[in-house]
Amino acid sequence: MMKESFELIDAHLKEEGMSRRDALKLFGTGGAAALMATGATGCTGTSSNAKGKILIVGGGLSGMATAAGLTHALSNPDITILEPNELSTSYQPGQTLVGGGVWTKEQVVYKRDDFLPDGVTLIKEQAVEFNPDSNTVKTSGGKTIKYDYLIIAAGLKLDFSKIEGLGIDQSITSTGDHSPVSKVIGQNGLASIYFQQGSEDTWKEMQKFIAEAKSGKKVKGIFTHPNTPIKCGGAPKKIMYLADARLREAGARENAELTFYPNGSNMFGVKEYHDAIVNQFEARDMKWNYRHNLVAVDPEKKIATFNRHWEEKGEWDEDLEEYSVVPRSEKVEMPYDFMHITPPQVAPEEIANSPLGSGKGWVPVKKETLQHVKYPNVFALGDIVAVPMGKTGGSARKQYKVVIENLIAVMEGREPKAEYDGYTVCPLITSLSTIMLAEFNWTGKPTPSFPLDPTQERWIWWLLKVYGLKPMTQYGMLSGRA
Amino acid sequence: MKKTSFIVLSTVAIFGLSGCGNAPESSPEEKTYSKTPAEVYAESCVKCHGKNAEGNPAKKGPALNDRQAGELELDLYDVKNSGTNQSSGTEHDIMAHNMKKLAEKGFDYDPKAMAEYIEKSFYKMEAEAAPVLAPEEAAAEDATQTEGEEGVEETPSEESEAAAEEASQEETPAEESNEETAEETPAQ
Repeated sequence: MMKESFELIDAHLKEEGMSRRDALKLFGTGGAAALMATGATGCTGTSSNAKGKILIVGGGLSGMATAAGLTHALSNPDITILEPNELSTSYQPGQTLVGGGVWTKEQVVYKRDDFLPDGVTLIKEQAVEFNPDSNTVKTSGGKTIKYDYLIIAAGLKLDFSKIEGLGIDQSITSTGDHSPVSKVIGQNGLASIYFQQGSEDTWKEMQKFIAEAKSGKKVKGIFTHPNTPIKCGGAPKKIMYLADARLREAGARENAELTFYPNGSNMFGVKEYHDAIVNQFEARDMKWNYRHNLVAVDPEKKIATFNRHWEEKGEWDEDLEEYSVVPRSEKVEMPYDFMHITPPQVAPEEIANSPLGSGKGWVPVKKETLQHVKYPNVFALGDIVAVPMGKTGGSARKQYKVVIENLIAVMEGREPKAEYDGYTVCPLITSLSTIMLAEFNWTGKPTPSFPLDPTQERWIWWLLKVYGLKPMTQYGMLSGRA
Repeated sequence: MKKTSFIVLSTVAIFGLSGCGNAPESSPEEKTYSKTPAEVYAESCVKCHGKNAEGNPAKKGPALNDRQAGELELDLYDVKNSGTNQSSGTEHDIMAHNMKKLAEKGFDYDPKAMAEYIEKSFYKMEAEAAPVLAPEEAAAEDATQTEGEEGVEETPSEESEAAAEEASQEETPAEESNEETAEETPAQ
């Protein structure tokens, strides 16, 4: 019954279409109403009298939502946030739409200070040194802050410096100072939606690419996916779908060859979604070449160099009772007219190398409770946390409630019992009017929130992405309500 | 447009309503394993990762005793799923391949249970022994593997010796490392 009505809604919307204004109006008022219905009392029930000084490192979506939620959940909150970047609460999921020319950059820029919850102290500095054994953090301004409880929500860094030839020697954040990267990414056919200015520049470069194709020139577009975990695992493909859609719109698709070069050897960890994406690629004549990791670029000559890697059969291994495999690799060069780079992504150095980090940098936690493996008064969430999958706003939306509940449990001397199940969501943009809403968790299976086949591209999810998710995130989640 | 309005409004209301109390509905599919983590380690892992998970360079098997369960589990998850991200690939190309073969031979395990077993049995704490309530908690959580844990909990070194016997052909410097484990265990 429910399934039928959802199918009906989707079919109806597809058929009738809907003006942008109508959609905005409906999603605006509807979203607000729905949030009020659930949000009036907050999500955590009655407030706790637990006391303690809470320090949150990072005031992005995860940090701010956690702070806001804690102000509702604690009757005497003592919360400090360390965040130097004044645009930290910007709406990153929208950068794909900016890169595809659907939104303007202004639509995703949000100021940190507008989302600071009442009663929370903001220090506009960066945490630069962590001493968890003495419960202190040093800041870029030379302050030493002592805490009882620490929440790490410092996000990740985009590390273009790992790609040779770009002349970039430092890592950047999505919305911080982008000048070290913008001098080369965002011009001459190189683009990246992974940072805010880059998303605007991506659209400029994409338009030039489309104009070339339209003029009759045969052009090549390359889309990369690195060998590190990345935030929003679907974005490297989404921007490719959007390029495909824009080329079709311009009637120039046949002049462009579009190829996806991921380091890995599949489209998605969940088989159902992998299969669906392969079908979508084939239907659009979008090509792919697995096991290619971008290692160098010649921006002048417009040549990308990939490390292509594979395995060959080796000698018989007596312990394994199988033939062993031997890793092989070679460098291959590909010319491009337009290349969208998804940069390698790393945990911020000052945390990765601290006692709170790990061999790979990400903050190690018990993946269900999000409590640090070594320090019970430390929790972590968002892009910096070492859990499988994740690194999306959708994950953060589930994680911050778990952190709040478990932190309060620890503050009250109880066992942390709330559990994150690995839920994450990838609204995979597949055209200018459709999205496949890929929801999944650690079971490795689709976990749809709605009774609809989750492998289908739908107009209704386009509406959700373009009109619904931003208000939900900016006004629901950042206020700790949804 | 009226019909559309109604339809969209109701949809939005449902989106909004799913915001709170995300009580997970689906009970996780219980996958059963024919061997306990202790058995899998003793019969298979030990050959390349060593009796005390100290690693075996000759077999290119890295040490596993330098990480706690939370961190180790992520690696095991990566191995078993050939990656933890959509198209990033795995950091363990070779082991991901080997693991598929080993799973076919019955050496399969739950990454969480295995990570906890390895930590409890082999983890070498850093100088400033910080860790927390881990052992009991881990044991309590691990309902499916209770059998294998009885001996493990208190006598990791015996477990290692058993492992050593299993892999009698290994000529690793086992004696030394075994003693090390035995000495360190009480501190845990």
